[in-house]
Amino acid sequence: MKLDPSFIWTAFTQLLSVIPTTLLITAVSVACGLIIGTAVALIRTFRVPVLAPIAAGYVTFIRGTPMLTHLLLIYFGLPIALDALAAQFGWGFRSASIPMIAFAFIAFSITAGGYASEVVRSGLLAVNRGQMEAAHSVGMTTAQALRRIVIPQAFAASLPNISNLVVGMLHASTLAFTVSVVEVTAKAQIVASTNWKFFDAYLAAALIYWGLTLLVERASGLVERRINVYDRGGVA
Amino acid sequence: MEQSFEIGYVFQFIPKLISTLGTTLTIVAGAVFLGLAAGFLAALPRLYRVPVLQRVSQLYVSFFRGTPILIQLFLFYFGLPEVLKQIGIDVSKAPVLFFVILTYGLHTGAAVCEMIRAAVGSVDRGQVEAAYAVGMNGYRAFTRIVFPQAIAIALPIFSNVLLALTKETSLAFSLGIMEMTGKAQSLSTLTQHFVEAYLSLALVYLAVCFLLEKLLLGVEWRLLRHERQESETRAWFRSWKKIKWRRYSSEFPLERKEAGSYEA
Repeated sequence: MKLDPSFIWTAFTQLLSVIPTTLLITAVSVACGLIIGTAVALIRTFRVPVLAPIAAGYVTFIRGTPMLTHLLLIYFGLPIALDALAAQFGWGFRSASIPMIAFAFIAFSITAGGYASEVVRSGLLAVNRGQMEAAHSVGMTTAQALRRIVIPQAFAASLPNISNLVVGMLHASTLAFTVSVVEVTAKAQIVASTNWKFFDAYLAAALIYWGLTLLVERASGLVERRINVYDRGGVA
Repeated sequence: MEQSFEIGYVFQFIPKLISTLGTTLTIVAGAVFLGLAAGFLAALPRLYRVPVLQRVSQLYVSFFRGTPILIQLFLFYFGLPEVLKQIGIDVSKAPVLFFVILTYGLHTGAAVCEMIRAAVGSVDRGQVEAAYAVGMNGYRAFTRIVFPQAIAIALPIFSNVLLALTKETSLAFSLGIMEMTGKAQSLSTLTQHFVEAYLSLALVYLAVCFLLEKLLLGVEWRLLRHERQESETRAWFRSWKKIKWRRYSSEFPLERKEAGSYEA
Protein backbone atom coordinates (compact mmCIF):
# COMPACT_ATOMS: atom_id res chain seq x y z
CA MET A 1 0.00 0.00 0.00
CA LYS A 2 1.69 3.14 -1.29
CA LEU A 3 0.52 6.71 -1.21
CA ASP A 4 -1.39 7.22 -4.42
CA PRO A 5 -1.87 10.89 -5.45
CA SER A 6 -4.38 10.08 -8.16
CA PHE A 7 -6.52 8.17 -5.67
CA ILE A 8 -6.44 11.12 -3.26
CA TRP A 9 -7.96 13.16 -6.08
CA THR A 10 -10.59 10.48 -6.79
CA ALA A 11 -11.50 10.34 -3.10
CA PHE A 12 -11.56 14.12 -2.97
CA THR A 13 -14.07 14.37 -5.81
CA GLN A 14 -16.23 11.69 -4.22
CA LEU A 15 -16.17 13.51 -0.89
CA LEU A 16 -17.19 16.79 -2.51
CA SER A 17 -20.69 15.42 -3.07
CA VAL A 18 -21.37 15.06 0.67
CA ILE A 19 -19.99 18.42 1.78
CA PRO A 20 -23.56 19.88 1.79
CA THR A 21 -24.54 17.34 4.47
CA THR A 22 -21.65 18.39 6.69
CA LEU A 23 -22.43 22.06 6.12
CA LEU A 24 -26.14 21.48 6.79
CA ILE A 25 -25.41 19.78 10.12
CA THR A 26 -23.03 22.60 11.06
CA ALA A 27 -25.43 25.35 10.03
CA VAL A 28 -28.47 23.84 11.75
CA SER A 29 -26.60 23.13 14.97
CA VAL A 30 -25.01 26.59 15.12
CA ALA A 31 -28.28 28.38 14.29
CA CYS A 32 -30.38 26.40 16.80
CA GLY A 33 -27.51 26.54 19.27
CA LEU A 34 -27.38 30.32 19.11
CA ILE A 35 -31.15 30.55 19.68
CA ILE A 36 -30.99 28.19 22.66
CA GLY A 37 -27.82 29.87 23.89
CA THR A 38 -29.30 33.37 23.72
CA ALA A 39 -32.38 32.23 25.64
CA VAL A 40 -30.23 30.52 28.28
CA ALA A 41 -27.88 33.49 28.57
CA LEU A 42 -30.75 35.96 28.96
CA ILE A 43 -32.38 33.72 31.60
CA ARG A 44 -29.12 33.62 33.53
CA THR A 45 -28.29 37.32 33.10
CA PHE A 46 -31.71 38.44 34.35
CA ARG A 47 -31.76 35.69 37.01
CA VAL A 48 -35.26 34.44 36.16
CA PRO A 49 -36.35 32.61 39.35
CA VAL A 50 -37.00 28.93 38.56
CA LEU A 51 -35.42 28.81 35.12
CA ALA A 52 -32.00 30.20 36.07
CA PRO A 53 -30.80 27.16 38.12
CA ILE A 54 -32.13 24.82 35.42
CA ALA A 55 -30.20 26.79 32.78
CA ALA A 56 -27.05 26.68 34.91
CA GLY A 57 -27.43 22.92 35.34
CA TYR A 58 -27.93 22.46 31.60
CA VAL A 59 -24.78 24.42 30.78
CA THR A 60 -22.73 22.55 33.40
CA PHE A 61 -23.91 19.18 32.11
CA ILE A 62 -23.26 20.01 28.45
CA ARG A 63 -19.83 21.46 29.11
CA GLY A 64 -18.79 18.68 31.47
CA THR A 65 -19.60 15.71 29.25
CA PRO A 66 -18.31 14.71 25.81
CA MET A 67 -20.45 15.50 22.78
CA LEU A 68 -20.52 11.86 21.86
CA THR A 69 -22.55 11.07 24.98
CA HIS A 70 -25.11 13.76 24.10
CA LEU A 71 -25.51 12.28 20.64
CA LEU A 72 -25.80 8.71 21.90
CA LEU A 73 -28.20 9.68 24.70
CA ILE A 74 -30.49 11.45 22.21
CA TYR A 75 -30.15 8.64 19.68
CA PHE A 76 -31.13 5.91 22.13
CA GLY A 77 -33.18 7.89 24.64
CA LEU A 78 -35.42 10.02 22.44
CA PRO A 79 -37.15 7.13 20.60
CA ILE A 80 -37.95 5.43 23.92
CA ALA A 81 -39.38 8.63 25.36
CA LEU A 82 -41.35 9.43 22.19
CA ASP A 83 -42.74 5.90 21.83
CA ALA A 84 -43.82 5.93 25.47
CA LEU A 85 -45.58 9.28 24.97
CA ALA A 86 -47.14 8.11 21.71
CA ALA A 87 -48.47 4.99 23.37
CA GLN A 88 -49.91 6.99 26.24
CA PHE A 89 -51.68 9.62 24.15
CA GLY A 90 -52.49 7.34 21.25
CA TRP A 91 -50.62 9.22 18.56
CA GLY A 92 -50.18 7.32 15.36
CA PHE A 93 -46.45 7.97 15.55
CA ARG A 94 -43.48 5.62 15.47
CA SER A 95 -39.97 6.68 16.40
CA ALA A 96 -38.66 4.56 13.54
CA SER A 97 -40.03 7.17 11.12
CA ILE A 98 -37.57 9.80 12.39
CA PRO A 99 -34.75 10.21 9.87
CA MET A 100 -31.24 9.57 11.22
CA ILE A 101 -30.05 13.08 10.48
CA ALA A 102 -32.75 14.49 12.80
CA PHE A 103 -30.99 12.90 15.78
CA ALA A 104 -27.77 14.61 14.75
CA PHE A 105 -29.61 17.94 14.38
CA ILE A 106 -31.26 17.67 17.80
CA ALA A 107 -28.21 16.43 19.70
CA PHE A 108 -25.77 18.88 18.14
CA SER A 109 -28.16 21.79 18.67
CA ILE A 110 -28.40 20.91 22.36
CA THR A 111 -24.60 20.70 22.59
CA ALA A 112 -24.08 23.93 20.66
CA GLY A 113 -26.68 25.62 22.88
CA GLY A 114 -24.63 24.95 25.99
CA TYR A 115 -21.46 26.34 24.46
CA ALA A 116 -23.25 29.22 22.70
CA SER A 117 -24.81 30.37 25.95
CA GLU A 118 -21.34 31.05 27.31
CA VAL A 119 -20.43 32.91 24.10
CA VAL A 120 -23.54 35.08 24.32
CA ARG A 121 -23.11 35.66 28.06
CA SER A 122 -19.51 36.82 27.71
CA GLY A 123 -20.65 39.08 24.87
CA LEU A 124 -23.40 40.61 27.02
CA LEU A 125 -20.95 41.10 29.90
CA ALA A 126 -18.53 42.86 27.55
CA VAL A 127 -21.08 45.64 26.95
CA ASN A 128 -20.74 48.44 29.46
CA ARG A 129 -23.56 48.61 31.99
CA GLY A 130 -23.86 52.33 31.32
CA GLN A 131 -25.15 51.60 27.80
CA MET A 132 -28.23 49.92 29.24
CA GLU A 133 -28.75 52.74 31.71
CA ALA A 134 -28.35 55.38 29.01
CA ALA A 135 -30.93 53.57 26.89
CA HIS A 136 -33.34 53.47 29.84
CA SER A 137 -32.75 57.15 30.49
CA VAL A 138 -33.80 58.14 26.98
CA GLY A 139 -37.01 56.21 27.50
CA MET A 140 -36.36 52.82 25.86
CA THR A 141 -37.86 49.71 27.37
CA THR A 142 -35.50 46.87 28.37
CA ALA A 143 -36.47 44.90 25.27
CA GLN A 144 -35.79 47.89 23.02
CA ALA A 145 -32.49 48.61 24.72
CA LEU A 146 -31.42 44.99 24.32
CA ARG A 147 -32.38 44.86 20.68
CA ARG A 148 -31.06 48.25 19.57
CA ILE A 149 -28.15 48.96 21.91
CA VAL A 150 -26.81 45.94 23.76
CA ILE A 151 -27.12 43.03 21.31
CA PRO A 152 -25.39 44.74 18.34
CA GLN A 153 -22.40 45.58 20.54
CA ALA A 154 -22.44 42.17 22.21
CA PHE A 155 -22.49 40.54 18.78
CA ALA A 156 -19.42 42.49 17.71
CA ALA A 157 -17.62 41.54 20.91
CA SER A 158 -18.45 37.85 20.63
CA LEU A 159 -17.79 37.40 16.92
CA PRO A 160 -14.40 35.66 17.37
CA ASN A 161 -16.06 33.25 19.81
CA ILE A 162 -18.91 32.62 17.38
CA SER A 163 -16.39 31.77 14.66
CA ASN A 164 -14.74 29.36 17.10
CA LEU A 165 -18.14 27.82 17.77
CA VAL A 166 -18.78 27.37 14.03
CA VAL A 167 -15.38 25.71 13.57
CA GLY A 168 -16.02 23.56 16.64
CA MET A 169 -19.38 22.39 15.34
CA LEU A 170 -17.90 21.79 11.88
CA HIS A 171 -15.34 19.47 13.44
CA ALA A 172 -17.92 17.96 15.76
CA SER A 173 -20.16 17.07 12.81
CA THR A 174 -17.72 14.19 12.19
CA LEU A 175 -19.44 12.43 15.11
CA ALA A 176 -22.58 12.06 13.03
CA PHE A 177 -21.05 8.93 11.52
CA THR A 178 -21.89 7.09 14.77
CA VAL A 179 -25.60 7.44 13.94
CA SER A 180 -24.95 6.46 10.31
CA VAL A 181 -25.42 9.85 8.70
CA VAL A 182 -23.29 9.96 5.57
CA GLU A 183 -21.29 13.17 5.86
CA VAL A 184 -17.65 13.71 4.90
CA THR A 185 -16.13 11.41 7.54
CA ALA A 186 -18.58 8.59 6.96
CA LYS A 187 -18.12 8.93 3.19
CA ALA A 188 -14.35 8.84 3.68
CA GLN A 189 -14.76 5.61 5.64
CA ILE A 190 -16.87 4.13 2.85
CA VAL A 191 -14.41 5.22 0.15
CA ALA A 192 -11.48 3.99 2.24
CA SER A 193 -12.87 0.55 2.96
CA THR A 194 -14.20 -0.12 -0.56
CA ASN A 195 -10.82 0.72 -2.10
CA TRP A 196 -8.70 -0.47 0.82
CA LYS A 197 -6.83 2.84 0.79
CA PHE A 198 -7.40 4.32 4.22
CA PHE A 199 -4.64 6.89 4.42
CA ASP A 200 -5.43 8.48 1.06
CA ALA A 201 -9.15 8.76 1.77
CA TYR A 202 -8.67 10.32 5.19
CA LEU A 203 -6.07 12.68 3.78
CA ALA A 204 -8.65 13.91 1.28
CA ALA A 205 -11.16 14.35 4.10
CA ALA A 206 -8.60 16.23 6.18
CA LEU A 207 -7.93 18.60 3.25
CA ILE A 208 -11.65 19.29 2.92
CA TYR A 209 -12.08 20.06 6.62
CA TRP A 210 -8.95 22.19 6.62
CA GLY A 211 -10.20 24.20 3.65
CA LEU A 212 -13.64 24.67 5.19
CA THR A 213 -12.09 25.82 8.47
CA LEU A 214 -9.90 28.37 6.71
CA LEU A 215 -12.95 29.63 4.80
CA VAL A 216 -14.93 30.09 8.03
CA GLU A 217 -12.03 31.96 9.61
CA ARG A 218 -11.61 34.20 6.57
CA ALA A 219 -15.35 34.95 6.44
CA SER A 220 -15.45 35.79 10.12
CA GLY A 221 -12.48 38.13 9.65
CA LEU A 222 -14.39 40.00 6.94
CA VAL A 223 -17.59 40.26 9.00
CA GLU A 224 -15.55 41.40 11.99
CA ARG A 225 -14.06 44.26 10.03
CA ARG A 226 -17.49 45.28 8.77
CA ILE A 227 -19.22 45.09 12.15
CA ASN A 228 -16.55 46.99 14.07
CA VAL A 229 -16.82 50.02 11.77
CA TYR A 230 -18.56 52.02 14.51
CA ASP A 231 -15.67 51.36 16.89
CA ARG A 232 -12.76 52.98 15.08
CA GLY A 233 -11.98 55.84 17.47
CA GLY A 234 -10.55 59.21 16.44
CA VAL A 235 -12.59 62.14 15.13
CA ALA A 236 -14.63 62.00 11.87
CA MET B 1 -35.02 -4.58 20.86
CA GLU B 2 -34.55 -1.90 23.52
CA GLN B 3 -35.68 -2.42 27.08
CA SER B 4 -37.46 0.17 29.19
CA PHE B 5 -35.44 2.58 31.27
CA GLU B 6 -34.26 1.25 34.65
CA ILE B 7 -32.34 3.62 36.87
CA GLY B 8 -30.69 0.72 38.75
CA TYR B 9 -28.50 -0.06 35.76
CA VAL B 10 -26.97 3.41 35.89
CA PHE B 11 -25.56 2.74 39.36
CA GLN B 12 -24.55 -0.75 38.31
CA PHE B 13 -22.60 0.57 35.30
CA ILE B 14 -20.74 3.38 37.05
CA PRO B 15 -18.19 1.16 38.93
CA LYS B 16 -17.58 -0.84 35.75
CA LEU B 17 -16.84 2.35 33.85
CA ILE B 18 -14.57 3.66 36.60
CA SER B 19 -12.48 0.50 36.24
CA THR B 20 -11.45 1.77 32.77
CA LEU B 21 -10.91 5.32 33.96
CA GLY B 22 -7.18 4.51 34.10
CA THR B 23 -6.97 4.13 30.31
CA THR B 24 -8.71 7.46 29.77
CA LEU B 25 -6.42 9.18 32.24
CA THR B 26 -3.35 7.53 30.66
CA ILE B 27 -4.31 9.03 27.31
CA VAL B 28 -4.96 12.42 28.91
CA ALA B 29 -1.70 12.44 30.88
CA GLY B 30 0.41 11.23 27.94
CA ALA B 31 -1.19 13.71 25.58
CA VAL B 32 -0.74 16.60 28.02
CA PHE B 33 2.98 15.94 28.49
CA LEU B 34 3.53 15.44 24.77
CA GLY B 35 1.35 18.45 24.00
CA LEU B 36 3.22 20.73 26.39
CA ALA B 37 6.55 19.71 24.84
CA ALA B 38 5.29 20.01 21.25
CA GLY B 39 3.46 23.25 21.94
CA PHE B 40 6.49 24.81 23.58
CA LEU B 41 8.73 23.76 20.68
CA ALA B 42 6.21 25.13 18.18
CA ALA B 43 5.75 28.40 20.05
CA LEU B 44 9.45 29.29 20.31
CA PRO B 45 10.09 29.94 16.57
CA ARG B 46 7.00 32.13 16.44
CA LEU B 47 7.88 34.10 19.56
CA TYR B 48 11.41 34.79 18.34
CA ARG B 49 10.42 34.98 14.63
CA VAL B 50 12.84 32.33 13.36
CA PRO B 51 12.58 32.57 9.53
CA VAL B 52 11.73 29.11 8.13
CA LEU B 53 10.69 27.34 11.34
CA GLN B 54 8.07 30.02 11.91
CA ARG B 55 6.22 28.91 8.74
CA VAL B 56 6.51 25.25 9.72
CA SER B 57 5.04 26.00 13.13
CA GLN B 58 2.21 28.00 11.54
CA LEU B 59 1.42 25.12 9.23
CA TYR B 60 1.46 22.63 12.13
CA VAL B 61 -0.92 24.70 14.25
CA SER B 62 -3.18 25.46 11.31
CA PHE B 63 -3.48 21.79 10.37
CA PHE B 64 -4.19 20.50 13.87
CA ARG B 65 -6.69 23.24 14.59
CA GLY B 66 -8.23 23.04 11.13
CA THR B 67 -9.11 19.35 10.98
CA PRO B 68 -11.33 17.29 13.29
CA ILE B 69 -9.56 15.12 15.87
CA LEU B 70 -11.36 12.05 14.53
CA ILE B 71 -9.81 12.52 11.08
CA GLN B 72 -6.41 13.07 12.70
CA LEU B 73 -6.76 9.82 14.63
CA PHE B 74 -7.51 7.88 11.45
CA LEU B 75 -4.74 9.65 9.54
CA PHE B 76 -2.10 8.80 12.12
CA TYR B 77 -3.32 5.29 12.71
CA PHE B 78 -3.33 4.37 9.03
CA GLY B 79 -0.72 6.76 7.71
CA LEU B 80 2.13 6.79 10.19
CA PRO B 81 3.19 3.15 9.69
CA GLU B 82 3.28 3.77 5.92
CA VAL B 83 5.32 6.94 6.19
CA LEU B 84 7.76 5.47 8.69
CA LYS B 85 8.17 2.33 6.60
CA GLN B 86 9.71 4.47 3.86
CA ILE B 87 12.52 5.51 6.17
CA GLY B 88 12.96 1.98 7.47
CA ILE B 89 11.19 2.09 10.81
CA ASP B 90 8.53 -0.54 11.42
CA VAL B 91 5.82 0.60 13.84
CA SER B 92 3.03 -1.63 12.55
CA LYS B 93 3.41 -3.76 15.66
CA ALA B 94 3.19 -0.78 18.03
CA PRO B 95 0.16 -0.77 20.33
CA VAL B 96 -2.83 1.33 19.25
CA LEU B 97 -2.50 3.35 22.43
CA PHE B 98 0.79 4.72 21.08
CA PHE B 99 -0.91 6.21 18.03
CA VAL B 100 -3.78 7.54 20.10
CA ILE B 101 -1.50 9.31 22.59
CA LEU B 102 0.66 10.66 19.77
CA THR B 103 -2.33 12.09 17.92
CA TYR B 104 -3.94 13.61 20.99
CA GLY B 105 -0.54 14.94 22.03
CA LEU B 106 0.07 16.72 18.73
CA HIS B 107 -3.54 17.96 18.70
CA THR B 108 -3.07 19.39 22.20
CA GLY B 109 0.32 20.78 21.17
CA ALA B 110 -1.36 23.10 18.65
CA ALA B 111 -3.65 24.49 21.32
CA VAL B 112 -0.75 24.79 23.78
CA CYS B 113 1.28 26.70 21.17
CA GLU B 114 -1.51 29.26 20.79
CA MET B 115 -1.86 29.42 24.57
CA ILE B 116 1.84 30.15 25.07
CA ARG B 117 1.81 32.78 22.36
CA ALA B 118 -1.17 34.54 23.90
CA ALA B 119 0.26 34.35 27.43
CA VAL B 120 3.74 35.59 26.52
CA GLY B 121 2.23 38.28 24.34
CA SER B 122 0.17 39.58 27.23
CA VAL B 123 3.21 40.17 29.44
CA ASP B 124 4.11 43.84 29.23
CA ARG B 125 7.01 44.54 26.88
CA GLY B 126 8.49 46.88 29.48
CA GLN B 127 9.14 43.91 31.76
CA VAL B 128 11.62 42.46 29.27
CA GLU B 129 13.20 45.85 28.72
CA ALA B 130 13.55 46.35 32.48
CA ALA B 131 15.18 42.91 32.75
CA TYR B 132 17.66 43.85 30.04
CA ALA B 133 18.26 47.17 31.78
CA VAL B 134 19.40 45.42 34.99
CA GLY B 135 21.78 43.29 32.92
CA MET B 136 19.91 40.00 32.42
CA ASN B 137 20.47 38.15 29.16
CA GLY B 138 17.65 36.91 26.96
CA TYR B 139 17.44 33.47 28.58
CA ARG B 140 17.33 34.83 32.13
CA ALA B 141 14.81 37.51 31.23
CA PHE B 142 12.56 34.79 29.86
CA THR B 143 12.92 32.25 32.68
CA ARG B 144 12.89 34.71 35.58
CA ILE B 145 10.63 37.53 34.46
CA VAL B 146 8.39 36.62 31.53
CA PHE B 147 7.71 32.93 32.19
CA PRO B 148 6.42 33.25 35.79
CA GLN B 149 4.02 35.98 34.76
CA ALA B 150 2.93 34.23 31.60
CA ILE B 151 2.17 30.96 33.38
CA ALA B 152 -0.38 32.63 35.63
CA ILE B 153 -2.14 34.04 32.58
CA ALA B 154 -1.91 30.76 30.70
CA LEU B 155 -3.39 28.60 33.44
CA PRO B 156 -7.11 29.32 32.83
CA ILE B 157 -6.53 28.60 29.12
CA PHE B 158 -4.62 25.44 30.00
CA SER B 159 -7.53 24.38 32.18
CA ASN B 160 -9.86 24.71 29.18
CA VAL B 161 -7.45 22.78 26.95
CA LEU B 162 -7.18 19.98 29.49
CA LEU B 163 -10.95 19.69 29.94
CA ALA B 164 -11.51 19.70 26.18
CA LEU B 165 -8.88 16.99 25.82
CA THR B 166 -10.51 14.87 28.53
CA LYS B 167 -13.81 15.03 26.69
CA GLU B 168 -12.21 14.41 23.31
CA THR B 169 -10.59 11.18 24.49
CA SER B 170 -14.08 9.70 24.17
CA LEU B 171 -13.28 9.35 20.46
CA ALA B 172 -10.42 6.94 21.08
CA PHE B 173 -12.96 4.11 21.02
CA SER B 174 -13.13 4.51 17.24
CA LEU B 175 -9.66 2.92 17.01
CA GLY B 176 -10.73 0.15 19.34
CA ILE B 177 -9.25 1.44 22.59
CA MET B 178 -11.13 0.11 25.59
CA GLU B 179 -11.46 3.36 27.50
CA MET B 180 -14.63 4.58 29.18
CA THR B 181 -16.64 5.16 26.02
CA GLY B 182 -15.60 1.85 24.52
CA LYS B 183 -16.52 0.12 27.78
CA ALA B 184 -19.89 1.88 27.82
CA GLN B 185 -20.55 0.69 24.29
CA SER B 186 -19.72 -2.91 25.07
CA LEU B 187 -21.80 -2.76 28.27
CA SER B 188 -24.75 -1.33 26.41
CA THR B 189 -24.71 -3.88 23.62
CA LEU B 190 -24.29 -6.65 26.19
CA THR B 191 -27.27 -5.64 28.31
CA GLN B 192 -29.31 -3.77 25.66
CA HIS B 193 -29.66 -0.89 28.14
CA PHE B 194 -28.24 1.86 25.95
CA VAL B 195 -29.61 4.96 27.65
CA GLU B 196 -28.54 3.82 31.12
CA ALA B 197 -25.00 3.03 29.92
CA TYR B 198 -24.50 6.37 28.23
CA LEU B 199 -26.11 8.24 31.10
CA SER B 200 -23.65 6.71 33.55
CA LEU B 201 -20.84 7.47 31.10
CA ALA B 202 -21.92 11.12 31.06
CA LEU B 203 -22.05 11.17 34.87
CA VAL B 204 -18.53 9.75 35.20
CA TYR B 205 -17.17 12.30 32.72
CA LEU B 206 -19.00 15.07 34.56
CA ALA B 207 -17.39 14.02 37.85
CA VAL B 208 -13.91 13.74 36.28
CA CYS B 209 -14.18 17.15 34.61
CA PHE B 210 -15.51 18.70 37.80
CA LEU B 211 -12.58 17.36 39.84
CA LEU B 212 -10.01 18.48 37.25
CA GLU B 213 -11.58 21.92 37.18
CA LYS B 214 -11.42 22.26 40.98
CA LEU B 215 -7.83 21.03 41.01
CA LEU B 216 -6.73 23.60 38.45
CA LEU B 217 -8.59 26.40 40.20
CA GLY B 218 -6.60 25.51 43.31
CA VAL B 219 -3.32 25.68 41.39
CA GLU B 220 -4.35 28.99 39.88
CA TRP B 221 -5.20 30.41 43.31
CA ARG B 222 -1.74 29.41 44.49
CA LEU B 223 0.03 30.84 41.42
CA LEU B 224 -1.69 34.20 41.69
CA ARG B 225 -0.81 34.65 45.36
CA HIS B 226 1.54 37.56 44.62
CA GLU B 227 -1.40 39.60 43.33
CA ARG B 228 -3.59 38.59 46.25
CA GLN B 229 -0.96 39.55 48.80
CA GLU B 230 -0.71 42.97 47.33
CA SER B 231 -4.41 43.62 47.63
CA GLU B 232 -4.39 42.24 51.18
CA THR B 233 -1.62 44.63 52.21
CA ARG B 234 -3.45 47.46 50.59
CA ALA B 235 -6.58 46.54 52.47
CA TRP B 236 -4.54 46.53 55.70
CA PHE B 237 -3.23 50.02 55.12
CA ARG B 238 -6.65 51.26 54.23
CA SER B 239 -8.36 49.62 57.19
CA TRP B 240 -8.68 52.96 59.00
CA LYS B 241 -11.03 54.16 56.28
CA LYS B 242 -12.63 50.79 55.72
CA ILE B 243 -16.01 52.11 54.71
CA LYS B 244 -14.61 54.08 51.84
CA TRP B 245 -12.53 51.07 50.70
CA ARG B 246 -15.59 48.88 50.74
CA ARG B 247 -17.49 51.30 48.58
CA TYR B 248 -14.59 51.43 46.18
CA SER B 249 -14.34 47.68 45.92
CA SER B 250 -18.04 47.18 45.42
CA GLU B 251 -18.00 49.63 42.55
CA PHE B 252 -15.08 47.88 40.89
CA PRO B 253 -15.41 44.23 41.82
CA LEU B 254 -11.96 42.73 41.94
CA GLU B 255 -13.05 39.31 40.80
CA ARG B 256 -11.30 37.91 37.79
CA LYS B 257 -13.22 36.95 34.74
CA GLU B 258 -12.36 33.42 33.68
CA ALA B 259 -12.92 32.67 30.07
CA GLY B 260 -15.19 29.66 29.85
CA SER B 261 -15.16 28.73 33.51
CA TYR B 262 -16.96 25.54 34.41
CA GLU B 263 -19.83 26.81 36.53
CA ALA B 264 -19.91 30.14 34.74
